Amino acid sequence: MSVATTRNLSRGAFAALLLLPAMTIIAVAFVVPLARLATMSLSAKSGMLGAYEELLSEDVYWIVLWNTMRLAVIVTAINLALGFAVAMAMWRLSGSWRMWLFACVVLPLWISVLVRTFSWMLILEKNGPLNRFLLAGGIVDQPLSFLFNFTGVIIGMVHVLLPYGALPIYAALVKIDPALMRASEGLGASQITTFRRVVLPLAAKGVATAATFTFLLSLGFFITPAILGGAKATTISMLIDSFVNERLAWPLASAASMVLLALALGVIAIAARFVPVSGLAEAR
Amino acid sequence: MTRALLWSKGFAVIVGLALVVPILAVVPVAFSERSFVRLPPESYSLRWWNAFLADASWRNALITSLQVATLSSIIAVMTGTAAALGIQKLGPAGRKIATGLFLGPAVAPVIVLAVGLYALARATGLVGSLTGLVIAHTMLALPYAVLNIGVSVAAVDPRLAMAAAGLGAGHWRIFRTITLPLILPGVVGGAVFAFVTSFDEVVLAIFLSGPRVKTLPVRIWEEIRVEYTPVVAVAATIMVALALLGAAASRLVSRRGQ
Repeated sequence: MSVATTRNLSRGAFAALLLLPAMTIIAVAFVVPLARLATMSLSAKSGMLGAYEELLSEDVYWIVLWNTMRLAVIVTAINLALGFAVAMAMWRLSGSWRMWLFACVVLPLWISVLVRTFSWMLILEKNGPLNRFLLAGGIVDQPLSFLFNFTGVIIGMVHVLLPYGALPIYAALVKIDPALMRASEGLGASQITTFRRVVLPLAAKGVATAATFTFLLSLGFFITPAILGGAKATTISMLIDSFVNERLAWPLASAASMVLLALALGVIAIAARFVPVSGLAEAR
Repeated sequence: MTRALLWSKGFAVIVGLALVVPILAVVPVAFSERSFVRLPPESYSLRWWNAFLADASWRNALITSLQVATLSSIIAVMTGTAAALGIQKLGPAGRKIATGLFLGPAVAPVIVLAVGLYALARATGLVGSLTGLVIAHTMLALPYAVLNIGVSVAAVDPRLAMAAAGLGAGHWRIFRTITLPLILPGVVGGAVFAFVTSFDEVVLAIFLSGPRVKTLPVRIWEEIRVEYTPVVAVAATIMVALALLGAAASRLVSRRGQ
């Protein structure tokens, strides 16, 4: 046996030793709980697939799935449009303007989602500042109800998720060689043509990443829909919460969790064809 | 100045305000004088700050949050640094598998993790314990710790460690005198991020808290789902202040690192 092999062996063993503590935490707090949910989802009294059959057979659960998907699609669409505009603005600006806008986009990521949602609750209230502004400006005669319906949830979620929409697109835009833009304009293309034929195709990867981030996060969102939406806008995550805390229906809660997990994995699998999965780690 | 640039600047001001102002809405409410929540308040006082400090349940929640965040960020950074160094020593295939495993908690829906952990904690009697919360938050922070520290580790010139080994230094000595000083900005940055992640986290904490041990966000969550007073805004303002401190610290560290 050569010296190199023994060294490789010990190198592998050393790497394993270094990885052991972190892997133990992941195993105990991530793998085991998910495995437990998977087994519990198959433990309904009515048979192994009983919980899944109940989820499939009741209209209420299909409505919740539809609510969740619709919300995720709407939030993702608004987020991509706004995120693209914000990313374009950051890209066009320079110096301290760019720095300040970037700071405004990144800063909310440090603030708890709960606090951000609570703030929106205060702003969107019936007697809150937004309604007072709309009434004073004569835009509406009656205060609008933003809370406890889809409108409030969409406003809150777009605000919380906008950084995930803007940052990947910005990252793609800054990689574009300015010479390409000059070449396009030099060849007589209008600004719109340059945007459509040069900027958009080169930013496509960033847009795909942004779409994946926001859609993935929207699917599993709990705090914002629970506070701003209430019972009228029930999502899968709120349903899982009520299975556990109100109905104490563990097989149903586990089965619904497995469905949500499968949806998330499906999104990741589709996205992995277009963008590197490691980039998704920032999504949360 | 071209018109396009003027548009960009105007748009930047609007977007910047729209992103930041809604977060700061809680701050004036915390200094309100009245018992009901109105934004902006009609008159100001420190009444609700006194109420916060006088209430043992709020004080305990703040202390629990600080304890959980401190412990979980220390454990996440220690195990995360070791893991980042371990991943570096693996071959390309092993590296891919290990990174994939560490990414799991970052991409799985948090509610699913919460329900799974709650089921496990019930079976092991860890519901409402500091231990349960610390384990959960360490797991949540670990992917970011491993990734961020991994970036610093990858930037270290491997020839430095080889030179030290050639001069007879052991693993521990190489780590202590060469690797650690070079990756320290990444490690400290990872610790700050892990601390704020834990301090901000609410979904796992809702499921793992008990009547005696609950974090500050859980206390806020319970309060705003029923009737609330401006004391909730005090708690939220404390959370904003701590997060801003974390953001500033992280910026300082990344500047030093350059």
